Amino acid sequence: MEILRVENLSKSFGGVHAVNNISFSVEVGERLAVIGPNGAGKTTLFNLINGQLRPTAGRIYFCGQDITKMLTHQRAHAGQGRSFQLTSLFLNLTVFENALLALHGTKPSRYQMLRPITGYEDLMAKAEETLKTAALWEQKDELVKNISYGEQRRLEIALTTVLSDLRLLLLDEPSCGLTGAESADIIKMIHKLGRDITVLLVAHDMDLVFGVAERIMVLHYGEIIADGEPKEIQANPIVKEIYMGTMEGERNAGAS
Amino acid sequence: MEKDKWEGIRRLWQGRLGQFAPFIIVGLILLTIPHFAHADIQLMMAKSLAFATFAMGYNLVFGYTGLLSLGHGVYFGAGGYAVALLQYHLHIYSFWMAMPLAVAVSMLLAAILGPIVLRSTGMYFLLLTFAFGELFYSIAWQTKFMGVLSVAGQIAVRGIPGIVYPDVIPGIELTSTTFYYFIFTGFVICYILLYRITNSPFGHALVGIRESEPRMQALGYHTWRYKYIALIVSAGFSGVGGAMFAWNNAMIDPSHFAVGTSFLPMVMSIIGGSTTLFGPAIGAVIVTFVEYLASITIRARWPLILGGIFVVSVMFARAGIGVYLARLWEKVRVRYGNTKS
Amino acid sequence: MEFFATSLLNGLSFGMILFLIAAGLSIIVGVMGIINLSHGALYMLGGYFGWMIAQRLGLNFWLAVFIGGLVAGLVGLFIERAFLRRLYKQMNEQVLLTFGFVYIITNICLWVWGGDAKVPFWDPALSGSFNLAGLLYPKTRIIVIAIGTVLAVFLWWLQNKTRVGAIIRAGMDDREMVTGLGINLARVSMLIFFLAAFIAGFAGVIGAQLWGVYSYQGLQTLLFALIIIIVGGIGSIQGALAGALIIGIVDAFGRALFPQLSMFFMFLVMIIILIAKPSGLLGRKI
Repeated sequence: MEILRVENLSKSFGGVHAVNNISFSVEVGERLAVIGPNGAGKTTLFNLINGQLRPTAGRIYFCGQDITKMLTHQRAHAGQGRSFQLTSLFLNLTVFENALLALHGTKPSRYQMLRPITGYEDLMAKAEETLKTAALWEQKDELVKNISYGEQRRLEIALTTVLSDLRLLLLDEPSCGLTGAESADIIKMIHKLGRDITVLLVAHDMDLVFGVAERIMVLHYGEIIADGEPKEIQANPIVKEIYMGTMEGERNAGAS
Repeated sequence: MEKDKWEGIRRLWQGRLGQFAPFIIVGLILLTIPHFAHADIQLMMAKSLAFATFAMGYNLVFGYTGLLSLGHGVYFGAGGYAVALLQYHLHIYSFWMAMPLAVAVSMLLAAILGPIVLRSTGMYFLLLTFAFGELFYSIAWQTKFMGVLSVAGQIAVRGIPGIVYPDVIPGIELTSTTFYYFIFTGFVICYILLYRITNSPFGHALVGIRESEPRMQALGYHTWRYKYIALIVSAGFSGVGGAMFAWNNAMIDPSHFAVGTSFLPMVMSIIGGSTTLFGPAIGAVIVTFVEYLASITIRARWPLILGGIFVVSVMFARAGIGVYLARLWEKVRVRYGNTKS
Repeated sequence: MEFFATSLLNGLSFGMILFLIAAGLSIIVGVMGIINLSHGALYMLGGYFGWMIAQRLGLNFWLAVFIGGLVAGLVGLFIERAFLRRLYKQMNEQVLLTFGFVYIITNICLWVWGGDAKVPFWDPALSGSFNLAGLLYPKTRIIVIAIGTVLAVFLWWLQNKTRVGAIIRAGMDDREMVTGLGINLARVSMLIFFLAAFIAGFAGVIGAQLWGVYSYQGLQTLLFALIIIIVGGIGSIQGALAGALIIGIVDAFGRALFPQLSMFFMFLVMIIILIAKPSGLLGRKI
């Protein structure tokens, strides 16, 4: 069953075609990694799927619905969860408060003005559970700006999974800046997710990509130049050509 | 037995009582001062509570949501004028009609201006709110309905003078002392309401929007709607402050809509600490008090001093005095709570 | 016909002064990302100094214009160097600080020059009116239009045809990049700030020919400038000019036809633009 379909999608900024007439679809439960050199349009694609950007042309279908004009928060209610490349956690709030806010996002109680946010037992329990699983319970009362970068990334990723009817997880460079061990944790976390959740991943870290992806899509200058199983992509000469230096560089950096 | 008694008290001190102690102390001070003070001081303190309510309401939008509004004078002025016009044109003095009207009018204005003003962010938002404040000033200045007319039908006085204390309990007239207690009660009620709002999911969402609006949207929050609601709620509190001010000041004039008034809650919030609920209240007391001192010494130079306060608070007191006081209190509490047994 | 021509010329002369004020503010906001609410106060300060030179000391009017500009320029530069430089990208703080200076400058002017408004004054050689095809129109206003036009052309040339201008425009888009290219953006910024403040003070004396100088000009001029920026858009000379001329002309006709509604027309135009095109007529999205 198809969960996401993109048809003739384009996004231009002035004269620059960040995403140029691409079409593809994703099945429920797939683990798809989107790779490509810098500027290839990967984050732009995510921003289009998640609603931060409006397409210049084309359509996006999610769970059978045309979401092209849908606002971001509505897409969250439809089942999209997203992590950002540059950490966008709430720095001046505590770890626990970040978790509570993430949990309330799709609940009607989010408009409640007179009960304290700590008064929702089930959400408090869920927050505790999530933080314990992510090994962040000790830091629950620390301000996010005071915890380490690795812990911040871990928190951000953990909080993308708390969405109650999560269907599609969009992870933008989840292991950016993390050590090998920390990246391995992320791979483990993704493996633990059930098949009712589809994972779309943008990454430069090849260990992560090959550790998680069942399908890889390569973007270059806003177009899809290759799409298939990891082995095919690895052997693809065009991909090797445009990506060779970068891949090698990443592998060497990753193996530290 | 002795040990248990101390244990119980110590735990109280470290827990809820300790947290509330500063409020209790301040509350006691605020309650007893009028008895010992001279009418001028009472007037000043009532004024500071009116502004404290205004500033706390304003801060919901400024400190919590992160929107720099320079147009809250519109809502403050609306509250004040609602009370004044009700007395002047309709001879209605009842608190129970005036206050709800003040709140309703200010919230209605925010509901109307909100969609226009929230179309822009950052700087444009600031410019827009400023311009609307001046628009209302202009309207209040020119409109006959909002001024005192002379025999010939021309505007003789801009604004409405001669505002008297409201009737709260029929038959009982408020004196300046009982009026002060009345304002104090109103302030406490507003404080409690704002306390609940800022601790609620809604209040936390506002902070989330300030910290990272894109993330909030990705989490499912309709951020525009939150900003709109926050604006309306904060306008309501501003209207309450305006009504309190009008009764206390006995006069309301067009300048209360304008930028001079709109800046006050902002500077009060920054001085007192815009990240806390009570910070703006502290700022309000400080600014009102300094203004009072200036008025009895070098009245003509007050704007100069106020400008100086703006500059100094930006350059040196960024986090706000309220925040420093809160940290200090925590240290005191922890230190004196930890007796080694 | 005479009514139309007079109103039009009134609008143009008013608009030109507004342009001078708004242009500087717009560039500072657009390029340096600084909101300087004291810009109107600099206009007023220039006006007061100009009055002092021309009326109190009885010296040449054009010297007064220059001094007015110079003083405003230096004060503006001081505010930028001593305070604003430390508040890069902090909008709340900039707003509060610069507004504090409005109060400070206004109160000092009141202290020094007193609360009475200074009546309009001008170069004696420009007394009287020109005869424009049968229409008598004050020479001072024509000069205002002329000076405004010259300045508009100069600023446009500066923005679009010079290296400095290119740096400014690049700085508007990407400050980090420009600095990275080794260009001393700080020095250019200082120059721009001084220039904008100078023009504000200069405009203060030029405007004094029409309106004199008075103590609430600090806030009033600021409000005008902000309305123009909202209408015309931020960051371009063209935007400031378009906004200023539209507002000036609308105001002039409005005043002439419905005198009791004075500032409403300005606000009306502003609200219409806000609803139709929130970023202003020729504005760049910020």
